[in-house]
Amino acid sequence: MTEIRARGIVDGEATGPMLVTPALSFLGDIDIRSGCIVGDLPPQVKGRTLKGHVLVMPFTRGSAGSWRFLYQLSKLNTHPLAIVTDDLPDPSVVQGAILARIPVACSPQIGTADFAVPGRRLRVDVRDGVATLSVES
Amino acid sequence: MQLSRYEEEMLSGRHGPAKQRAMEGLAQLGRAYGAARMVEIGYAHIHAGMALYLEDIQLMEQLADLDAHMAVPASSNIANADMLNWQQTGAPESLVKLQKRAIGAHNRMGSACSFTCTPYWAGHWPTWNMHMTSIESTVTIFCNSVIGARSNRDGFFAVYAGIAGRYPLFGYHLAENRRGTQLFEVDARVSGTSDFSCLGYAIGAKAGSGVPVVSGLERRPTLDELDALGAAMGTSGGVSMFIVPGVTPPFESVAQAFGERPIPAPIAVRRADVDAVYTNFCTGAEQDIDVIHLGCPHASYEEMKSYAALLRGRRVAARAAVWITTSRSVRRMCEEAGIVRELEAAGAKVIVDTCPISCHFAVTTSPDPALNVKPPALRTVMVDSAKQARYVRDMIQCKTLLTGTEEAIETAVSGTFHPRRADRD
Repeated sequence: MTEIRARGIVDGEATGPMLVTPALSFLGDIDIRSGCIVGDLPPQVKGRTLKGHVLVMPFTRGSAGSWRFLYQLSKLNTHPLAIVTDDLPDPSVVQGAILARIPVACSPQIGTADFAVPGRRLRVDVRDGVATLSVES
Repeated sequence: MQLSRYEEEMLSGRHGPAKQRAMEGLAQLGRAYGAARMVEIGYAHIHAGMALYLEDIQLMEQLADLDAHMAVPASSNIANADMLNWQQTGAPESLVKLQKRAIGAHNRMGSACSFTCTPYWAGHWPTWNMHMTSIESTVTIFCNSVIGARSNRDGFFAVYAGIAGRYPLFGYHLAENRRGTQLFEVDARVSGTSDFSCLGYAIGAKAGSGVPVVSGLERRPTLDELDALGAAMGTSGGVSMFIVPGVTPPFESVAQAFGERPIPAPIAVRRADVDAVYTNFCTGAEQDIDVIHLGCPHASYEEMKSYAALLRGRRVAARAAVWITTSRSVRRMCEEAGIVRELEAAGAKVIVDTCPISCHFAVTTSPDPALNVKPPALRTVMVDSAKQARYVRDMIQCKTLLTGTEEAIETAVSGTFHPRRADRD
């Protein structure tokens, strides 16, 4: 078990297998009805579902409509369990995650590229602005 | 984050559950962005409630049920159906009935039923240095860049800011972020809203989430051209604010626009860059045009007058439907001025509260299956706005023809595609 400190953006706790992707836009790259990645993205992530995964990516690609899509994913039960990014996500993503009760952490002590392994389980625990990321070995 | 006594009271629930929920959300947002404190806002442009998304209207009804009231003047954003004359759009009645529930929620909360992406044309005009919030990027950019108000590109929390009358101090609320990051030197003749839309799209694609300074325009753009410029920048890029020296308060010159920072090397924008945006969104065929759309963002009174002048005494060819979209407030003014009568006599439809990409045409929505929403199979939609073109491609997922406003009307009347003629001016 490896523990990594990160900045806590949206409070909450979740554990699940990591889905490691390039930067995604919630408006355009995700089919909201299925929660699957449909955008112009590499084959190893295209068609994968966000559902039941901890979404790990370098940053979020901006759209003011992101909040609505995160909220819809939660209403359709296709939402990611948690979101971890290197860069601070867009305000609309943060607002959608608060609305959908999806924990969000960013700026981990070591970059996501250095600890994220697709499919390996990650525990995300965010409280009062501080996040602890635990990678299961 | 430092909170005032009143803000602490709102957070503790002393001023009711709606203000408490609003402050809880805003405090989390402020903490995420390292805001030192809250600021008082003077205006909020908030979510309409969208019937094409599951349990979305209910988000607004829940707030109204908590006895939420707007602490500041508030307008509502574009909606998913024309709630006044929906029959002419082909929307299912079930969708319109659900959408109309938003009217009740806004009336209870005291937010205006403006249902538009251009609330400034409907009378919601903030002032220089006024802190505000907006759920619509077009409004954020117009208010930052043309009026000099201070707004971020917000999401749902614009309604929380409206309820609390507060917003965390970060982003474009801070003077230090209201400075140019790139310099674009326009070396092209541009005229009319379509050209400014394509110019904005070209600049936005290079500006990312920066603050582009736009220099070299041969004349002061009109309000409608500035609106088109910003709407397109917010579509191809994550732009929240642009600076046109001499137009954007308080920047008189390029040097002032960069403040203490050195002026960067200019990025040239040529007519070919503008034309490339038109070409990029000309994927359809003239014989397949199902809809010709004008009014993205929602048309101003001035734009409505110009459409009427172009269509006066003429008649659109029967094949395509001509949609002119505007706010219900502007439509009302146009009804009283005889403009709606002229447009309808020519065969155009004047549609309010929505637009092609916001209505049941979009295939990327998630409505309650019980509403029985079936997007029509459209082949080609002709538009005069790069923002609309981009989202017709991505949300309606059909082909587009992007041209100038006058050329779109010529196409509507003749039935033959008129591409934008850059050499006309």
